[in-house]
Amino acid sequence: MTVIKENWVFVETDLNKINPVTYELITKMKQISHDPVVAILIEKSDANLETELSEYGPDKILLVKDDELVDGDDLELTDALNKLIQKQGTPNTFIFPATVVGRSVAPRLQARLRTGLTADCLDLKFEDDLLVQTKPSYGDNIMCEITIPNHHPQMATARPNVFTAEKENNPALKIEEIDNLEWEKDTKLQIKSQVLPLKTSNDIAKAQRIVALGRGDKTEAGIGIANNLAKKLHATVGVTRPLTDLDQYTITEQIGQSGQTVAPDLLINLGISGAVQYTAGISNAKIVVSVNTDENAQIFKYSDYYFVGNALEFSKALEAIL
Amino acid sequence: MKIVVCIKQVPETTNVKINEKTKNIDRRGLGGVINSYDLHALETALEIKRNVGGEVITMTMGPDDFAVSLRETLALGADSSILLSDRAFAGADTLATGYVLGKAIKKIGDVDLVLLGQQSVDADTGQVGPIMAELLQIPQVTYANEVIAENNSLLIKRNLDNVAQEITAQLPLLLTVTDTINQPQYTNVVEITKSFAKPITTWHASELQLDDSRVGQAGSPTIVRSISSPEKAAKVGHKLTNDPREAAAELVAILKKQNILTEED
Ligand SMILES: Cc1cc2nc3c(=O)[nH]c(=O)nc-3n(C[C@H](O)[C@H](O)[C@H](O)COP(=O)(O)OP(=O)(O)OC[C@H]3O[C@@H](n4cnc5c(N)ncnc54)[C@H](O)[C@@H]3O)c2cc1C
Ligand SMILES: Nc1ncnc2c1ncn2[C@@H]1O[C@H](COP(=O)(O)O)[C@@H](O)[C@H]1O
Repeated sequence: MTVIKENWVFVETDLNKINPVTYELITKMKQISHDPVVAILIEKSDANLETELSEYGPDKILLVKDDELVDGDDLELTDALNKLIQKQGTPNTFIFPATVVGRSVAPRLQARLRTGLTADCLDLKFEDDLLVQTKPSYGDNIMCEITIPNHHPQMATARPNVFTAEKENNPALKIEEIDNLEWEKDTKLQIKSQVLPLKTSNDIAKAQRIVALGRGDKTEAGIGIANNLAKKLHATVGVTRPLTDLDQYTITEQIGQSGQTVAPDLLINLGISGAVQYTAGISNAKIVVSVNTDENAQIFKYSDYYFVGNALEFSKALEAIL
Repeated sequence: MKIVVCIKQVPETTNVKINEKTKNIDRRGLGGVINSYDLHALETALEIKRNVGGEVITMTMGPDDFAVSLRETLALGADSSILLSDRAFAGADTLATGYVLGKAIKKIGDVDLVLLGQQSVDADTGQVGPIMAELLQIPQVTYANEVIAENNSLLIKRNLDNVAQEITAQLPLLLTVTDTINQPQYTNVVEITKSFAKPITTWHASELQLDDSRVGQAGSPTIVRSISSPEKAAKVGHKLTNDPREAAAELVAILKKQNILTEED
């Protein structure tokens, strides 16, 4: 097996739009590697996503224009990516976003290639050609450094919102279109419909300001005032997991380990205890303000400013002066 | 429908620390429980059985004391269990784990549906499912949050980060589920008593026709170099005054000074 000195990054597209996590991964790989960073883009034949992608300075774009593969299932994508590797050679590393798509396709490809894969990385660095991957486990209570010394590609998925995307003009960029990638169709599985939900997880993941509600502010009145407060602040409302039991909230608004990672300038936590599964999602928030009746609440350890007392009263007072 | 549910036993809390001496995770005094997502996978299997009939087998790869968790799945309604236990399996990463579990599915034979949790709460990878599906050469649907079974197919709903999908899948299929898919049931004394009449079969490596180089540590491409407990950068929080109105005013003033809030706010 010939290993080519390239780092591949899988470009995730959702309904013909590039998921911005892709840019974060490209920027990070460019920062840590001396070898070329290659973006793997699968798009519709009439799409032109490579223009947008170019702005983030990959060294090469491997472009597959294929109307069917764009909507391929995990098995089809695995087969196509494997064929691409057979054509081009085995890259030294292959990085995917730790999104539902990345976390589903990457392990399947890993098994096909019989190599290693590290999930959900929070940091990546190189020691020569060896990719050192930092992965959280036990609900972010433990950090592991993992390497894949004897197999290629060294694969990893990396969490959204951990690295910062930066635009960069790369005059050396090459776009190479791959024709007739003869991937195998999977007729057993049919994706009947794909729709954009009314709200997308990007809303909260990209929000600059967030008002987050926990079980301590779950009353109708509490939710009402928090919504008014959010409106005045031009903030997005997020929740802890217990609130996803309510009709109006789903995983799309849930912050934390099994929800969304957020990175706002301002996060206001109302009636949230600060369980690790929640705080796992807020470590990139700039200014954290928390309100809790319990003066020993864990959440205060993650807060720049805190108020010991009733969330309802505090948010009412805050809303009134804005 | 013949359904196999893969379950993993995990520590009862993920709030673990590193033992300074051994540099390993301190599991002293930690009991084992069934990985919470796997309870949702089991409930999915039981619901399908209630609706279209069939057989539910639970399976785990791990040390002999994982049998406790298998017994619990029998009390919850599974028909039989398989324990994959062998010294040779020790030190397996996800690839080697998926390999052994996949081989066991082949040995069971004629399995229509393989069900797993979206991820285990200790390893947190979610990789074992897709790895098994690949080794079994069957399609997969991950992170399902709704499943409706018909005789030979499943209607599945799932959410990608920015897209909601509806999928119809023919069997055989491998499916991993989220914890919003259902509410796992509780067991009761009658079921617990009945569970002792149900079989737990143990299979060792020699019974699975394994390629030794793909099992345990030898079959694991990933190496854990070091582990640590992250020092959560504890913030030195500033306590706001006790009166809500004064506290709100104080906060707004501070945030404006820091340019987090602007004059328009
Ligand atoms: C595998 C796994 C994954 C998980 N993933 C997530 C995740 O992604 N996101 C998530 O959020 N959770 C997650 N959880 C759940 C998590 O462990 C906690 O149970 C959850 O975060 C608690 O939410 P909470 O803070 O709103 O509620 P609680 O822990 O019940 O806290 C409520 C707080 O409100 C305070 N309070 C009560 N009344 C008032 C009042 N009037 N005014 C002000 N304060 C008040 C209380 O003092 C308390 O601190 C996960 C759990 C598991 C096992
Ligand atoms: N040792 C194991 N035995 C049986 N099932 C397992 C084992 N490890 C993982 N699984 C299954 O694979 C899923 C994903 O686990 P993981 O890839 O470790 O996050 C779990 O929810 C279980 O259903």
